[in-house]
Amino acid sequence: MAASGSAGRKGFWERLQRIDRRWIYLVIWLVVMVPLIKPFPIKPVASPPVQQMFSYIDSMPEDKALIISVDYSPDTQAELHPMTLALLRHAFATDRRVGLVATTVYGLGLGEDALREVKREFDSVATRHEDSVISGEDFIFWGWTTPLLTMMLGMGERITNVFPVDYYGARTESLPMTRHVKNYNDVGILVSVAGSSMPISWVAYAQTQFGLRIGCGTTAVSAADYYTYLNSGQFTGMLAGMRGAAEYEQLTREKMDRLGMTWRVRNRGTEAMSSQTAAHIAIILFIVVGNIGYFATRRRKS
Amino acid sequence: MNLATDPWVWVAAIMTLAVFSFLYKENPFYRAAEHLFVGVSNGYFITFTWHRVLVPSLIDPVGHGQKLWLILAAIVGALYFTRFIPKISWLVRIPIAIFLGYGSGMSLLRSVEAGIIAQVKATIVTRATFANWQAGLWALIILVGVVCTITYFFFSAERKGVLKPISYVGIIFVMVGFGASFGYTVMARISLFIGRLQFLLGDWLGLIR
Repeated sequence: MAASGSAGRKGFWERLQRIDRRWIYLVIWLVVMVPLIKPFPIKPVASPPVQQMFSYIDSMPEDKALIISVDYSPDTQAELHPMTLALLRHAFATDRRVGLVATTVYGLGLGEDALREVKREFDSVATRHEDSVISGEDFIFWGWTTPLLTMMLGMGERITNVFPVDYYGARTESLPMTRHVKNYNDVGILVSVAGSSMPISWVAYAQTQFGLRIGCGTTAVSAADYYTYLNSGQFTGMLAGMRGAAEYEQLTREKMDRLGMTWRVRNRGTEAMSSQTAAHIAIILFIVVGNIGYFATRRRKS
Repeated sequence: MNLATDPWVWVAAIMTLAVFSFLYKENPFYRAAEHLFVGVSNGYFITFTWHRVLVPSLIDPVGHGQKLWLILAAIVGALYFTRFIPKISWLVRIPIAIFLGYGSGMSLLRSVEAGIIAQVKATIVTRATFANWQAGLWALIILVGVVCTITYFFFSAERKGVLKPISYVGIIFVMVGFGASFGYTVMARISLFIGRLQFLLGDWLGLIR
């Protein structure tokens, strides 16, 4: 009996080592899907890099603009788009002027999508014309141009030289916001929301040359590499992955509530946190069980 | 359930499911989606570059008799296409050389300043660093980590004597770095999957409220 029990256990661990990976995909699919439909409550708590970025934008001088550089493409949209949305909500809620720029063609559609969504939210509750979000006054979507180096350096001299027309085809020189935002001197911080090494390029060109403050919104994959830039003070703050987006969404939500802006918005980062947590627990269990199986079978073989 | 009525949401959902079908095994639906993505991306890029860069920055001004020197730049840029004509393909070196020279000149000093000098400065520990004991402790850990890790990658001397324990500590820091990167990578991949499921369950099927 004891021998057959031992053979049964041996069979279990060895079968586990050879399990078809599609079963793991199925488990992950379920673990992610169920909490999205039936979420359990999670309140994101801002980590210091997120709090740093939020506090700076919240308290920067009123005449300084926020520039968001949409440096990502649809493949990293899930992690980064919620950051752009949260940054726009924060800026419009606190009456900051916003400039949007894209360093890739693929970021253009995403930038426009984010602007349209947040503008619609604010416009739907505006009772006066001044309360709505107006293109050219409250924000300019400069769009994209090439080459990158010339764009980054040229914006420090005069933005209208680099972008004679905005994304919608309007002459930038004629837009009211241009009177207040001529170059980096009029910018409080540029936040590069990127799925690539673009934040480092902004540091190398815009910060080293013009002293512009840079914030970083990045995919979780790149976060470990970027902590050194946070530690050196080259980044004023950092949002790392979907968790970073959820934390910024939470801070923005609290700020908007304090300002009496209590309308409901879809915070995709926060919405994803239940699934994220469940998936992490599942992966930790996979790693633990996989390692136990590995050592159990190795000991038997030896 | 509140199904989407926008046909483009349906197109995106079907494409997403076609790509996910690869998880079961390679199949024609996955390949069709992959080819469509490559084609549409390139088409979008070329169209946008034409309408938003070449037309306003080159064709419009030159067409109106302004900035005629841009014709020279356009000719040099067009030399990239000589790559397709074997007899004169060597001409492609001209725009590549100009672009490399410009890029290197513009980025060299700034990259050194941003990527090396500022980073080294951040490891310097002064008395002010210890104004806050936590900041001081982390600054010391970073200093030890940087020195030990660089020592680990110092291949010109045999690892014995004092170099051996320092390199060993360096390996520990490298391993911790790899662990952090792996953890973040898992988080990133799961996030991307969550994003697609948010789209399928929320925007397409209307199951997320």
